[in-house]
Amino acid sequence: MMEKTILKSSFPQWIKSLQSFKVFIPKRENFGWELSSNNQILEIASDYTYPVVPPKKLIFPQEEIFFEFEQNPDNGIELKEVLPEESPQVIFGVRPCDGRAVEAMDLVFGGSFEDLYYWRRRRQTTLVGLACHQPPSENCFCLSVEGSPYSEDGLDILLTDLGDRYFVKALTEKGEKLLSEAPSLFKEITPKDREEKERVHLEAQGKIKRHLNGARELPEKIKAIFDSNFWDEESSNCLRCGICTYLCPTCHCFDINDETKSLAPLRGRRIRTWDTCQFPDFTMHSSGHNPRPDRASRLRQRLAHKFLYFILLYDRFQCVGCGRCISLCPVGIDIIEVLTRARNHGK
Amino acid sequence: MVNNVYLPRIGEIIEIKDEVKGARPIKTFRVRLTDGPIFSFRCGQCAMLSVFGKGESMISISSSPLVTDYLQFSILKMGRVTSALHEMEPGNLIGVRGPYGNGFPIESWKGKNLIFIGGGIGLAPIWSVLQTALLQKDDYGELMLIYGARTSQDLVFRSELQQLKNQIPVHLSIDVAEPGWSEFVGFVPQNVLDKKPSPQNAIAITCGPPIMIKFVIKALKDLGFEDDQIYTTVENKMKCGIGKCGRCNIGHHYVCKDGPVYSWAQLKELPQEF
Repeated sequence: MMEKTILKSSFPQWIKSLQSFKVFIPKRENFGWELSSNNQILEIASDYTYPVVPPKKLIFPQEEIFFEFEQNPDNGIELKEVLPEESPQVIFGVRPCDGRAVEAMDLVFGGSFEDLYYWRRRRQTTLVGLACHQPPSENCFCLSVEGSPYSEDGLDILLTDLGDRYFVKALTEKGEKLLSEAPSLFKEITPKDREEKERVHLEAQGKIKRHLNGARELPEKIKAIFDSNFWDEESSNCLRCGICTYLCPTCHCFDINDETKSLAPLRGRRIRTWDTCQFPDFTMHSSGHNPRPDRASRLRQRLAHKFLYFILLYDRFQCVGCGRCISLCPVGIDIIEVLTRARNHGK
Repeated sequence: MVNNVYLPRIGEIIEIKDEVKGARPIKTFRVRLTDGPIFSFRCGQCAMLSVFGKGESMISISSSPLVTDYLQFSILKMGRVTSALHEMEPGNLIGVRGPYGNGFPIESWKGKNLIFIGGGIGLAPIWSVLQTALLQKDDYGELMLIYGARTSQDLVFRSELQQLKNQIPVHLSIDVAEPGWSEFVGFVPQNVLDKKPSPQNAIAITCGPPIMIKFVIKALKDLGFEDDQIYTTVENKMKCGIGKCGRCNIGHHYVCKDGPVYSWAQLKELPQEF
């Protein structure tokens, strides 16, 4: 662990020193903020909130090729493994919620069957977090799910904006390496820096407007109302668009399909794409039987995965309280409200 | 170097047998792996089979782990991949990855009587255990098979079943009477109640359509079987096979990785969403 400060005026030099990395910095687009590797940007904008598409896409892309297959002249099949390039990348402006989300995703893609594609990118990725001054969204509720506007979980560096400078806390070896690329730019911290950082963190915490109370009671509650018609009422507006899951920083469900370029000789590739539990055919058997046949069972799956199953598996929520699913839902399904009603259901 | 779990090995189909013809055809495939010996596996485990250009499908291995020359799969033609498999011929190449899932805890069944109860294609995963128990007969008590299908033409492993009758009690059934049929007519759970297998020192292993499993369990309970004496397998749509793609879960269990084998004691504690 290493603590320094860097002047904002020196920040562009730091970025420029990271020649051996692909650097992603928040960029303003007309749809919102995007993590961009456009090399023109050398600072984090003061009005940056958080990216519309969370950083997961740079580790677990929306589409990736597993391998190519090709029929050879003697009718054999050749498989050509397509692994991600081993090129280091740095992501600046990762909000603490999104850092915690990457940590949650690590649990899924690790375990007894390690996902080579995921870990190739993950091990090459340095996450530079930025503590929140203001909640990036009016729907932020990280405090309710064991996070905070200055959580360090999953991050390699946490930056805190102190006006003319950043307080820089390197949390991992990868983080320290990033500082060592331009050591002269970083200054020793003073007691005042530390004091100011603590104050900023505390103030930020007070600015979060939304809360999901008693989240740790939810696992038992969801279990208790599993078969209740509660889910029918809550899900009746759902359009099955899937945006709540596609843009969720922790959602990881995917599909695997073959794409054929030529039939004779057979040539094509097997790809992985993001998928969502909100689509009816996600769980539909080829016989037509569907264990989650309606909106109710699919909403229940999304919330139970985040607030019951993940806790049973890993003792943590699979929700980091970023509020994206609330802000983006076209019909106003609000995870805080639904879960609050779930908690009070039958009381 | 970490193994790439998504990259299949290439298998060659060495034998195809028609089990059932008609609108719901079933074929049995024997597959060898082109790059070396088959993987070791446990009874009840599955493999992800690919038809390149069509995709993958999770299929239970119906051969015994004691047979190491080939992997056997009995496959009902249903979706895109299984339809493509039904078009294939011996010599054709497929992708194989696995084995996946937990398998049956047969080591803990030594010395016990085993009652196998199957319906339709559900005989396939059971067949692996049955063959293993027959090859290691001294390790187990009495064996019995209760098996049924819609019609006599829908029964799989018909010639093997005739031979099996010389070794163990085999009680077949069909749903509706047919000329020349001398065995039980009715549903599998009714045949279970009719044959009254004893729960004494016994394990019942059942697989078939979900509705059949449900009523077989009820029949077994009526006969005095405890929840932990009843084992079954669960099916769900799968893509990855390794508990990551998120679609085959029942509660916090991923059927591909934590299943497909469950005792009724375990299964009844999970959300009834399958």
